[in-house]
Amino acid sequence: MTRIDAQPAGAAGAESRRQRRKRRRDAQREAEIPVELYGLPRGTVPFLTSLAFLFAIFTLIPIAWLVINSTKTQANIFETFGFWFARPFDFFHTFSLLFQNVDGYGTFIQWFGNTALYAVVGGVGATALAAFAGYGLARFRFRGSQLAFYLIIAALLVPVTALTVPLYLAYAKAHLINSIWGMVLPSMVSPIGVYLMRTYADISVPRELIDAARIDGAGEARIFFRVALPLMVPGVVTVLLISVVAVWNNYFLPLLIFNINTKYPLTVGLGLWSDRAVNSGDADLYPMLVMGGLVTIIPLIVLFLVLQRYWRGGMLLGSIAN
Amino acid sequence: MSAAIGLEDLTKVYASGVTAVDGLSLEVGDGEFVVLVGPSGCGKTTALRMVAGLESVTAGTVRLGGRTVNDVSPRQRDIAMVFQNYALYPHLTVGENIGFALANKGVPKAERQRRVRAAAATLGLADLLGRKPRQLSGGQRQRVAMGRAIVREPAVFLMDEPLSNLDAKLRVQMRAEILRVHQAIGSATLYVTHDQVEAMTMGDRIAVLHGGRLQQYGSPRELFARPANLFVARFIGSPEMNLYEAALDPSGRLTLGSQRLDLGPLPAYLAPAAGPGGRRVIVGVRPSDLTLGDGAGDGDAHGRAGGSGGSGGSGSGGDAAGGWGGSRTLTADVRVVEPLGSELHAIFSIDAPAAGGRELTAAEDAEDLLPGLAYNGLARLGPRAMVRPGDRVTFRVEASRLHFFDPDTGEAMGRQADRSGATTPVVS
Amino acid sequence: MRQSTLPRAARPRPAARGRARFGRSAWVQRRDRRGIWFVVPFLVGFALFMVVPLGYAIYTSLYTYRIIGGTSFTGASNYTQTLESGQFWSGVIRVTIFAAIQIPVMLAIAFFFATVFDLGVARFGTAFRTIFFIPFAVPAVVGAVMWSFLLEPQFGPFVHLANALGFGGTNFFSPSLLLPTIIVIVIWEWTGYNMMILYTALKSVPRDVVEAAILDDTPLWKIIVRIKLPMVRPAIVMLVFLNTIGALQLFTEPQILSYFEQGAVSLNYTPSVYIYNTAIAADETNLAAAMAVILAVIIVVISGLSFIFRRQRGELR
Repeated sequence: MTRIDAQPAGAAGAESRRQRRKRRRDAQREAEIPVELYGLPRGTVPFLTSLAFLFAIFTLIPIAWLVINSTKTQANIFETFGFWFARPFDFFHTFSLLFQNVDGYGTFIQWFGNTALYAVVGGVGATALAAFAGYGLARFRFRGSQLAFYLIIAALLVPVTALTVPLYLAYAKAHLINSIWGMVLPSMVSPIGVYLMRTYADISVPRELIDAARIDGAGEARIFFRVALPLMVPGVVTVLLISVVAVWNNYFLPLLIFNINTKYPLTVGLGLWSDRAVNSGDADLYPMLVMGGLVTIIPLIVLFLVLQRYWRGGMLLGSIAN
Repeated sequence: MSAAIGLEDLTKVYASGVTAVDGLSLEVGDGEFVVLVGPSGCGKTTALRMVAGLESVTAGTVRLGGRTVNDVSPRQRDIAMVFQNYALYPHLTVGENIGFALANKGVPKAERQRRVRAAAATLGLADLLGRKPRQLSGGQRQRVAMGRAIVREPAVFLMDEPLSNLDAKLRVQMRAEILRVHQAIGSATLYVTHDQVEAMTMGDRIAVLHGGRLQQYGSPRELFARPANLFVARFIGSPEMNLYEAALDPSGRLTLGSQRLDLGPLPAYLAPAAGPGGRRVIVGVRPSDLTLGDGAGDGDAHGRAGGSGGSGGSGSGGDAAGGWGGSRTLTADVRVVEPLGSELHAIFSIDAPAAGGRELTAAEDAEDLLPGLAYNGLARLGPRAMVRPGDRVTFRVEASRLHFFDPDTGEAMGRQADRSGATTPVVS
Repeated sequence: MRQSTLPRAARPRPAARGRARFGRSAWVQRRDRRGIWFVVPFLVGFALFMVVPLGYAIYTSLYTYRIIGGTSFTGASNYTQTLESGQFWSGVIRVTIFAAIQIPVMLAIAFFFATVFDLGVARFGTAFRTIFFIPFAVPAVVGAVMWSFLLEPQFGPFVHLANALGFGGTNFFSPSLLLPTIIVIVIWEWTGYNMMILYTALKSVPRDVVEAAILDDTPLWKIIVRIKLPMVRPAIVMLVFLNTIGALQLFTEPQILSYFEQGAVSLNYTPSVYIYNTAIAADETNLAAAMAVILAVIIVVISGLSFIFRRQRGELR
């Protein structure tokens, strides 16, 4: 009887990076049903791979365009071939303009700071509120907890736009226009965040653990922070990601409640530049608009790539089986 | 005539380097019910899945009905499988679940319904045909899974621990059900379980696996009476066999701790190569082979006649009427008595070191901490045996019922190699 | 036996003191009530920023501001004005058509790729999935800006491409092409996200059910349609639901496009755009409030209906 070894003798630890990657891929493939078992005709895999490739091109075209054209002058953006570079290579000059208030249309870097502030504070706040509420609804059966949950689900139905106009009106009355809190506080109310956190808490925090902690004499707050929260981390990360993205990308709310461009987030600022670039004929704005768009999307893309492993796509389903 | 299932040197090594199955060779004849049994992680499910075609084969061959099927898709292997979690199609009714494979083959509706109804009737599912799996109990789902398998009339049945998810009572019922269906249908069946009781009660032959390697392949009787190595000896039979380190010298004297048993001239296969102190052995005796030796109480519950040579004398080191065999006596201190109603378990201690078996070793270590409570043996006695904790008793055991194992390899000494496969010694 | 052999009924029962109505002890109920505090912060925010504005909207919508006479109570007149407004309804119809086309197309593409990657029948699955998901990190504003440049009627690369292919003089912002253009943009933005959710749902289908189907010699299309698809139906329902709510509120893309191609996007292009213009440009905040309330009702009705409709269909199958 022969013994088959996975590694040749004497190769202990001397595996190249490529071999290790291949081994990981093989292990991954072993965890799935082998494709051969599906009984597909020969050319299917290459065909489907090319379809995916085409859609990937479709997805990347605008971003590629953005990267390439952020290096061009205004004239070149319109006159040269869109998908290749042209002289002069204006990248750094345009980039520096982002730090200035060009023609009074606002300073990009300030908008960037605003957006970061709103997104982080709003996102963290939304996650915190959602985590508390989700845990409370999942693990405590007080009167009205079911009702509260249904109410929150119903809140998902109410369209955001319908709420924002009255919010603007209320702010106008309360002199909260242009207030940072006016932007941040509403962003902290995330019904879908609560829904996801409740579902996740339900799955990941066993009641027995909480009871055991209670018997050990821990107070409820301590139990939440020391016992429950660590178990809810993947869910928390997901909700944090969604919340930050939601605030970062929000356009309608800041559009209504800010009218000084120093307070604008990036979305509104870029919208302003779009309007002014085309309609006021201020041509300087075009390259800045392109560059601004590029700088806006880079942080989030980087964030996603970095946090990929914590991303629980399944969380977004909210355990639909519920 | 070729066997229904033939495995030759079957090996599976995963990309991570783990060897799940190592050189497994065995055959299942037509209509035979063969059980693959072993602790979790021993490779039995992997082997089954290779037979099904759901896992690729690293080395070796799988033959079904004489045909090599390594590269044949599971769709064309004419096999049916019952999964541990039943794997029923959740959105189809029971009837649709059972008839699914037939629908795939294009069997006309009328014929399909006839066969589905026949299969359902065999399994007592006739009233449930319109229900969905989520409306069924565990036992019902299991029967639907079986119905799905039998309706296809395959050449081979594969079952992957189908009873593991049922409660104990249901398990006993379903065991009988499965056997009844097997007798009715008559196809060769390969059945995987970790439960040795299931294996012993259901299998025509049993293959014991451990660490991916075949330990022994034989009938339940063979495995019980002539285990091929320490692993099989411990795995089969409940309560576990009592095992001790001992020494055997050429004259047939067995030194067990402070006791000496004269077993008579040794048969050839036990002839020692060893020197004066005696050959080191591991000796095993099943709890059911120990009886109360001094006539006290009702003796054992089994009412067996004595071995060759009739009942031996009392006292330690008793002799037989010449020759190998006959009963000998063993003195032990009873620690715990467990009355079970139909029998009585006497848990005892002798001063020989126990061999292997983690629980026993731990109990021995306890002697330092809790003297008087450590134990290293168990005897099954009749329900009215007069023993109490703290008694020093004398057990009788037939010499022919003693099992001897090589302490280094774990192999049973002197057996005819009957394991149909593994030639690599197993280290205990 | 070393256990008690008394019959069950004879064994003493635990003290029945302090049992409240629902069969739980008073201590448990008290403890559970403390859980309210966890939910309070969210509820406060919820009340302040969702309930109050909604209430204020309804309140404001019942009034009208006139230059002469100031604000006065006008009851339902804002509502009647909106409901009789052809402009409002044309916007509603437009977003309904938009949703009816965009959502199925996008979900079909998303499900197609989710299935492909779940089965592993295309190579580089992980890389592709990451790429497809990138647009989720792109704000709608930036997406609209990028596509506006690409489709710019005179200089955009895609226009050059169209010319080269023989479709001379294509204007992606013309009345006939504007909505399809917006559909393509929104599909670009959201397919990846929907695909990820469907992919995760597909991955949660138990492996042994698919293996059983393979052993039953089920063709792949049947495995997908009759086994996997029904099992991910809840995820699909949720996606239709969420996408519908979003689609009916379409605002950002038409708004940005309107900057690039003023005139192409009318003031009432979508209900949200109309509301915005009414509130800010025309400064008719009361009317805008009424429109917002009506829009909210319409969305609740439509999404609620589609939810129930799908549920019914599910029951009937």
